[in-house]
Amino acid sequence: MPTNFSAPNPYQPIPMRVLRAYYESNDRTLKTLELSFENQVDRVAFFKKFNPGQFCQLSLFGKGESPLGVASAAWEGDFVRFTIQRMGSVTKALHGLKPGDPLGMRGPLGNGFPLADWKGKNLVIIGGGCAFSTLYALTKHVQHPQNRPEFGQLTVIYGARSSGLCMYKHDIQSWYQRDDMEIHQAIDVPEESWDHHVGYVPDVVKQIAPSPDNAVAIVCGPPIMTKFTLPALVSLGFPPEAIFTSLEKRMKCGLGKCGRCNIGSKYICKDGPVFSLAELNALPADI
Amino acid sequence: MKYILPKNDLNALLTAWSAEYAVIAPQKTGAYAEFLPFTPQSELRLQEPHNTRYPVKALFFPQSEAILKYNRNVGQLENLEPEPQKRVIFGIRPCDAKAVTLLDTVFAEGDNQDPFWLARRAETLLIGLGCHEPCATCFCTSAESGPFHRDGLDALLTDLGEVYLVAALSERAELLFSGLTPADAAQQESALLLQAAAEKSLPKVFELDGLKEKLDRVFDKEIWAELAQSCLGCGICTFLCPTCFCFDLVDEAQRDTRVRNWDTCMYRVYSLEASAHNPRPTRKERTRQRLMHKYSYWWEHVGKLGCTGCGRCVRYCPVGLDIRAMIRKAGAYESEVLHAN
Amino acid sequence: MNELEQKIRSEAERLLKENLVDVVIAFRKEDAPLRPQPAFFTSIDDLENLVYNSLCANNLANYLTRYPRETRIGMLVRGCENRSVNALVVEKQHARENLYLLGVPCTGIIDWRKVIAVTGEDILEFEESDSTLTLRARHQSYTLPRAELLHSSCQRCVHPNPLSADILLGEALPEGDPKLIRERVETFEALTRSERVAYFKQEAERCIRCYACREACPMCYCEECFVDHNTPRWTESGTTPAGTHAWHIIRAFHQTGRCTSCGACERACPMDIQMTYLTDKLGKDMWDIYQFAAGMDDKTQPPFASFTMDDKKHFQAGGTQ
Repeated sequence: MPTNFSAPNPYQPIPMRVLRAYYESNDRTLKTLELSFENQVDRVAFFKKFNPGQFCQLSLFGKGESPLGVASAAWEGDFVRFTIQRMGSVTKALHGLKPGDPLGMRGPLGNGFPLADWKGKNLVIIGGGCAFSTLYALTKHVQHPQNRPEFGQLTVIYGARSSGLCMYKHDIQSWYQRDDMEIHQAIDVPEESWDHHVGYVPDVVKQIAPSPDNAVAIVCGPPIMTKFTLPALVSLGFPPEAIFTSLEKRMKCGLGKCGRCNIGSKYICKDGPVFSLAELNALPADI
Repeated sequence: MKYILPKNDLNALLTAWSAEYAVIAPQKTGAYAEFLPFTPQSELRLQEPHNTRYPVKALFFPQSEAILKYNRNVGQLENLEPEPQKRVIFGIRPCDAKAVTLLDTVFAEGDNQDPFWLARRAETLLIGLGCHEPCATCFCTSAESGPFHRDGLDALLTDLGEVYLVAALSERAELLFSGLTPADAAQQESALLLQAAAEKSLPKVFELDGLKEKLDRVFDKEIWAELAQSCLGCGICTFLCPTCFCFDLVDEAQRDTRVRNWDTCMYRVYSLEASAHNPRPTRKERTRQRLMHKYSYWWEHVGKLGCTGCGRCVRYCPVGLDIRAMIRKAGAYESEVLHAN
Repeated sequence: MNELEQKIRSEAERLLKENLVDVVIAFRKEDAPLRPQPAFFTSIDDLENLVYNSLCANNLANYLTRYPRETRIGMLVRGCENRSVNALVVEKQHARENLYLLGVPCTGIIDWRKVIAVTGEDILEFEESDSTLTLRARHQSYTLPRAELLHSSCQRCVHPNPLSADILLGEALPEGDPKLIRERVETFEALTRSERVAYFKQEAERCIRCYACREACPMCYCEECFVDHNTPRWTESGTTPAGTHAWHIIRAFHQTGRCTSCGACERACPMDIQMTYLTDKLGKDMWDIYQFAAGMDDKTQPPFASFTMDDKKHFQAGGTQ
C-alpha cells in the first residue's frame, strides 16, 4: 500500500523557448535547436541533474513528444542543445520552430554516461550520423579545462555519409587545432577537398586501431554501424565492460513506466540509454 | 476481528457506508458483471460464475485519461490530477486486489510516482470477496495468489451460504464493519474449511520454481513462433489483464489535451519506430514479449510474478489461447525438446 | 471423435502425405474448456490433435492473409468461411490455385457465452448431437437444445454450405432463409432516429478498442489500419465516445461489399457488442442497390471496387439514376 499520496506530475513538461535554430546538414534533414528555460528554477534543477548521454522528451502540444539526446555540455551556457533528424510528425513540427517559439521539455532522462567510472581513462568516442549528438555533448564536457584533467587521452572518430551531413562542422574544424585530443572524421565516398578519412566507421576504427589499455570506447550510430563497430573494438582488445553504446527504441513516457522501450527487464529510458556491451550481452536480443 | 454479515443485510450496510464513501460494487451490465457505483436500488452480482470482465485496475488507472490540458490562449497547462475521493470497492476478488498491489510497484514506488494513481489509491478501501468456487479458467494458486489471498485487501469476505464471514484486515475496515456481530468459533472454522477446499480445488498448472531461468534460456528458440501461431494480435489479453500497465501518450489536438491510453505490446505499432524498423516485427516476438514480461521480467523488477492467475486472458482470448498451456510448454521446451534430441 | 472429424483428418492426412499442400489450417483440441483453437498442421503426426465440432468458433479465412500467395494451403471451410475465402481471392490476397478447400456444411457455431449464461456455471465437458448439447458442469449436467445456443449470426445463416470447396465432407444442408438477416435490419430501421442513435451509442460506448473484431475478421487485413495513422489522424485513440463511434462506423463502412456476415467479430468481442447490425445493414443495401452479396464467387468484383460505364450516378449533382 503506498504511504504517500501525492507527487508532482512527471508527465508535465517544463516551459522552454527556442533561442537559436539552424540547419546542420546541407539536405536540411538535421536541424539544431538551442532552447532556453522560461523559469530559473527549472534551469537550476535541470543542470543539477544533467549528465552527458542523457536525453529529453521535447513536447509540442497538439503534436506529441520526441525523445532527443542532449547535444550540449552544462558549461556551454544557460541553454540546452538538440539536433533533430526530421522523420515523423513531431520531428517535422520541431523543424518548423523558429527562435522565440515556445515548447515543452521533460528531462534530463536516462542514465547518461558513467563519467565517474571513467576517471583517469582514455576515451575513444566513435559516432556515426545524427547519433553523434550525445557524443558531441560528451566531448564538449571533457574539453572544458576543469573536466579535462579527469580523463586521459581523448580520441574522437566521427563518420557521416557525406561531408554535407556532418554536424557541428564549425566547432569540429577547431578540434584539429587542439593538442588535448585527436579528431578523425570520415565520409563514405571520396569528395573533392576532403582531407580526412574515407570509409565506413568500423573500418576506420580498425585502421586507427585505438589502444584498449586503460581505455573505454563509446559507440553511437545507426544500428548497422554499431553492429560492425562493436566486434571491431572487441577484436582490438576492448573488453565488453569497456565498450559502451547508447540505444534507442520507440518511447513514450521516458520514465520507465509505460513499458514500451524495454529490452528484457531493462527500460532503455530509465536503465539506459547508455549500456555497456557486457550489460547488453546479458539481455535478450529484443532490439 | 471477524464478523458475520448476513447477505440480506448487505445492501443496507453498503447504503450506510455511502454516507461517507463512494461505494463501487459488481452489478450486471448486459450479460456480465461490472464494477459500478452502488445505489440503494443496485442489484449486486456477487455470485457470477467468474470475475468481472473489465479489470478493476480501471478504477485506479482509467483506460483513457487526460493527463495534461493545454490552454492555448494563455499558453498554460491545466492540472488535471483528480482529488482523492473516499471510496470502497466492494467485492473485489483476491487476484484483482493483489494485482493492484503489483501495479503499486509501477506507479507508486521509486522515482516519478504517478499522481493520478496515487490520488485514486489514497482514500480507497478494497473489500474482497474470496472465491469459494474458483472457475475452470482460474489459476491463482499457481501464480503466487489464491482464492482467499489477502494481499492488498482491507477486508476479506468468505461466503458461508446465508452469511458472509468478514475478516477485517485494516483499521479503516474495522470501522466499517464494527457494528456487526462477531463471528463465533464454529463459523470461523467453517470459513477455514471452505477456504482450504477452494485452494485445493485448483490444480497446479505450471511449476514456478526455476521457471524464469528456463524461459530466459529459450528466448531465441522457435517455441515462441509455435505458441503464437493462432494469436490474432488483438488487445484483449492485455486490456482485460489486471496487471498489464503499458500505456500510450497521445495528443488529441482538437481537445488541446494529452491523453494517456492503455496500450498493448500485441499491436504491431507498439514498437514500430519512425524509421520503419520494428524490433518486434512478427507475432512471435510480440507474444514472447508478453509472456516473458509477466513470467520473467517482473521477477527481475520486483521479485514477484507479474500475473495473479485471474484467467481473463484464457477466458476471453478469441482463439482459445491458454496462457497456462503456453507457459507450461515454453518452460518444458528445454528439457522436453532441446535436451531430448 | 465424430465421423466428420475423422473425414477431415483423413483428407488432411492425404493432402500432407501427397505433398499437395504446405499447411492444413483447421482446428485443434482445446487447452481452455469449450475453446478449440485454430491450428496449422504441417506434419501428419500432429493430425491426432485435429478436432472439429460446433465450438470451433473462428473464421479460418482470417489466416489466409498471413501467408504469401505461393503457399499451398489446405483449409477447412464452412459456408461463411468459403465466402470469405472467395472475397479474399477476388481481392487478390491469395491465388485460388494454391488453395485446397475442405468443405464442411455447417450446422452452426455454439456461442459458449450463451451456454454459460444459461447454466450459470463453468462447463467441464461437452457433447453434441444434431439437436442437443449435453454439458457436464461441476454441480450438475445439462441437456440443452442446440438451436437456442447457436451464435446469433449462425441463427440467421443463409449459406451453410461451402460454395466452392474442392471436396465436400458431409451432407449438404438446406439453405437458410434470407429473410432472417433482412428482418433484423428492417426491425432496426423501423426504430425512430433517436432510438437508433441511443442503441448505437449504447453498443459503441462499451467498446474497449481492443480491435479483436478487426483482428478476427478475414477482411480486415490492412497492414496499417486507419486508427493507427497519425498523419492525418482519423479518430481519437482513447475510449472517448467520439473516437469509439468513429471506429465502429468507419470499420463497418470499410466492410461494405466485403463482409460475409460470419459473426467472427461478435464472437471475438469481449464486451458482447453486437456490431453485425451495422454490417448487415450495409450488406442489405449492397443487395438492394447492386444485387451484390460478398463472396458468392471468387471472380466478381464488389461494386465499390469496380467501375463500369453504366454505373448508377444518382448521387452526383444533376445525375440521374
